[in-house]
Amino acid sequence: MSITLSIARMVKFTSQNVFRNFWLSFITSTIFVLTLITINAVLFMNVVADSVLETVGQKVEVTFYFLPNATEDIVASAQGYLRGFSQVRDVQFVSKEDALNSFTQRYQNDEVILSSLSELGENPFGHSLVVSTYSTEDFGFIVDAMETPEFSSYIKEHDFTDYQQVIEKIELLNKRIRYAGFCFAALFGLIAIMIIFNTIRVAIYVHRDEIAIMKLVGANDWFIRGPFILEALLYSLLSTLAIVIIIFVALGASHVQMIGFFGDAGEQIIQYFKDNAIIIFGLEFAGLAMLSLLTTAFAMRKYLKI
Amino acid sequence: MIRFSNVSKFYEPSTHALLHVNLHIKPGEFISIVGQSGSGKTTLAKLLFAEEKPTKGKIVVGDWDISNISQSDIPGLRRQIGVVFQDFKLLSRKTVFENVSFALEVAGEERKRIREIVPQVLKIVGLSDKHSRYPRQLSGGEQQRVSIARSLVHRPKILVADEPTGNLDTIHAYEIIQLLKKINEYGTTVVLVTHDRDIVNALKKRVVTIAEGKIVSDIERGKYLLS
Repeated sequence: MSITLSIARMVKFTSQNVFRNFWLSFITSTIFVLTLITINAVLFMNVVADSVLETVGQKVEVTFYFLPNATEDIVASAQGYLRGFSQVRDVQFVSKEDALNSFTQRYQNDEVILSSLSELGENPFGHSLVVSTYSTEDFGFIVDAMETPEFSSYIKEHDFTDYQQVIEKIELLNKRIRYAGFCFAALFGLIAIMIIFNTIRVAIYVHRDEIAIMKLVGANDWFIRGPFILEALLYSLLSTLAIVIIIFVALGASHVQMIGFFGDAGEQIIQYFKDNAIIIFGLEFAGLAMLSLLTTAFAMRKYLKI
Repeated sequence: MIRFSNVSKFYEPSTHALLHVNLHIKPGEFISIVGQSGSGKTTLAKLLFAEEKPTKGKIVVGDWDISNISQSDIPGLRRQIGVVFQDFKLLSRKTVFENVSFALEVAGEERKRIREIVPQVLKIVGLSDKHSRYPRQLSGGEQQRVSIARSLVHRPKILVADEPTGNLDTIHAYEIIQLLKKINEYGTTVVLVTHDRDIVNALKKRVVTIAEGKIVSDIERGKYLLS
């Protein structure tokens, strides 16, 4: 008995299963595709959110404003102290003179402010340090680090609140999108399980005569079960191929609009799917195949009495 | 060839289909198992091709104890025992040739061998000229001959026919019995399960009568004894 020949015949019986119940096969594959679309949409939004967070994060800085009595040496010492942390990307020193120049330039057309400033007779600004980190999550750590008695008495205030709110909002939105995405993926996954279970059940019912005769004439168990297993794998494979085509056609067709709408993130999304196509779609196929194989095994156990 | 030793089959603790059956069938024999409906004759046939397993006792086919045959060994057994049923069990979407070749295909036989064997068995059953017809285009007797042809493709040593003439008129039933006799003459042991008095009496072969799960008579060149 040739194994290759038996596999070829199992493939033949599988294709008969698929085409004899064409609409059921079509619906099964469609639900699989919808499940994968949901998963990829979550992935898409995740890449967008990560990219936006990274872009915003690079622009966000925390500024420590020192009191006017803090000398340049003290501020320089704080600058060195901050640079010692691995979380810190850069620390820029802004002198009180630069701060004053910057202020007067900003309000050069505002007589009231400028006259108030001249009435003071001295520079009211202190030195400041502008700190940027590799991750926005490290700002809390940096603020805490500056609470040390050595510097805290010289610090008037720090400022990064507005940016922090933006970051928190983006992170919250991303979490909600992920949560909603997982809920939808789970829902479609559940529907997919029920559909594949029903598809295999119907296939077993439709082929009950063939199955009875196969048993009667001495077909092996694996030969009888094989076409149903192959059928489940075929739906997973076809759905994954369909999703590959859908995603790349969609990304290709909307390339300009994506970059226009998302900016750098648009380019990153396209590149992300190109660079990770094998891993993304390989894992999606593996997951879908695993899901459908387990469901098929359960359906066969329940309905295919050999 | 086939030996039943003290075989009993219970479906529920209190319902027996067969009780303490002892039976020996010699190679090349033609044996009729007769009995009324519910007597246990079909159960006996099912035990032979492992559709059922005995609750007690031992069944040996050749040198093979099939009393507790494993699931994986059943296909091997069924390739050695051809089975024919009253309802033919043909696939309506397949032609005569395809129905017969199906048994070889699922067993992994090569296409070349299939093209050799199928015409041979179709010739034996007299359907060479109808190989491309579908079951619905055949008479009941012809459909049963297709079923017999399918059961012969593995060249079985034993052929179990469970009420093969049950759906046929007298003329077609007679043709089928003649065919079974012909197959028996080629050396295949034939176990015919029937309740057709005329067929059993005309055969003049060994007759085993079962009633309420027990063998009540076993006579060489016997007759149908039940009323």
